[in-house]
Amino acid sequence: MAKLLRARIPAVRIVLAGAGVLVLLSLPAPLAGQSAASVSNVAEADLLSLPEAPIPVQSSTSESSSPEASSAGDQTPTPQTPTSNPSQAAQPQPAPPSLGDLGLSPSQTKPDPDLQARLDRHTRMLRIHQRLGLITLAPLAGACITSAFAPPDLKKGKDNATGRDIHLGLGAASVTMYAFTASYAIRAPRVSDQPARGGIKLHKYLIWVHGPGMILTPILGAMAYDQANNGEKVHGIASAHAAVAWTTVAAYGAAIVAVSWPIHVASWKL
Amino acid sequence: MKTTLLCALLLLALPLRARPDQSQTDQSQPDQSWSLGQSTLTYHMSHPIHEVDGVSHAARGKGVCHAGQCDFLVAAPVKSFDSGDSNRDLHMLQTTRGAEFPVVTVRFRLPQSTLNQPTLDCDLEIQFAGTTAHYPHVAFHQTIEGPAHHITGVIPSTLTDFKIAAPTFLTVPIKNEIPVRVDMTWSPS
Repeated sequence: MAKLLRARIPAVRIVLAGAGVLVLLSLPAPLAGQSAASVSNVAEADLLSLPEAPIPVQSSTSESSSPEASSAGDQTPTPQTPTSNPSQAAQPQPAPPSLGDLGLSPSQTKPDPDLQARLDRHTRMLRIHQRLGLITLAPLAGACITSAFAPPDLKKGKDNATGRDIHLGLGAASVTMYAFTASYAIRAPRVSDQPARGGIKLHKYLIWVHGPGMILTPILGAMAYDQANNGEKVHGIASAHAAVAWTTVAAYGAAIVAVSWPIHVASWKL
Repeated sequence: MKTTLLCALLLLALPLRARPDQSQTDQSQPDQSWSLGQSTLTYHMSHPIHEVDGVSHAARGKGVCHAGQCDFLVAAPVKSFDSGDSNRDLHMLQTTRGAEFPVVTVRFRLPQSTLNQPTLDCDLEIQFAGTTAHYPHVAFHQTIEGPAHHITGVIPSTLTDFKIAAPTFLTVPIKNEIPVRVDMTWSPS
């Protein structure tokens, strides 16, 4: 009998070990894949057989769900105690963030219809300014081309009166168009007190070159016109007419390019 | 030998017991709030003779996480975008009705469990120029360094999405596509 028992001891040990493993594996079964509801049921079921604990003044769940509790360093997930308390379920949810939470100043968020109206007028007038400025290029180019036929050819004895008149007409048209173009930029309402930045800055600086040039050129042109019509060689300050005119045209062209700068055409970049 | 086998079995059984606690952590995320630190928003405008980038560093943002969902809001004053040319910026402000609607806002919602992923798939709701447009599944790339979440991506916005008439230069209109490049750093607050 004793021999038989000794022979079966290892088998009994293996059976007991297996049973122990099964118990260990089966213990967490109610917790695996738990939902909030199932957790509360399990918790309640466990609590039924336990004596009542002292009731805390404030539950840990309500502390962890308050917005103040989630501080900057609070990145580690805090375990939430399962509960079936209806007062905790009715806690207000934190509202989604609004503009007021971002700290933007009222001046940044307040609509300004007056400013919008001024911006609309500003843009409308500058659009006309831009179109007139481009149209002005046509008589200006014509005046430059016909300038070759304006002075009398004293060597050949040609007066060139017709060429001079055409040049005069194109020059006058250029100055008139220029005046209209400038008036739209001057009369456009101011919408910002900030200093100009970018290409518009050079565009504005160049006004100080082509603006006086557009006043001086016709004055000098009129003097030269009179001298030529009298059969004289253009002399004195009137002889500066061509130089002033070409400087004015160059500044005017540069002003158009400046406001368009930088220019990209397809794959190449200026 | 059998004792060793028994110990091995017990050790194997321990992780199985610990796993339910981890699944409980994933299910119930703590409330959390996020704030936007540094940000760079860049719109790109194309014209046959112009390529322009307008940059704003003035965006503000906040995120609130509750019950596993996070709501985010980002806002930037329209006039804070700087293209390097004050005249162009004023024109942009006028075209987008930036005085009437001075702030561009972006809202999106993300599951809290996805906040640490390298790619964030966002459904964006953008209010701009008095119009709301939706951009589903916009991908943002995320790199995390300590508490800072660095996010980059491109919003494929267009002028027609916001009913904006295309401005013209030398009578030629700009391209309809105005992609906005996003580069921002969020951190928990």
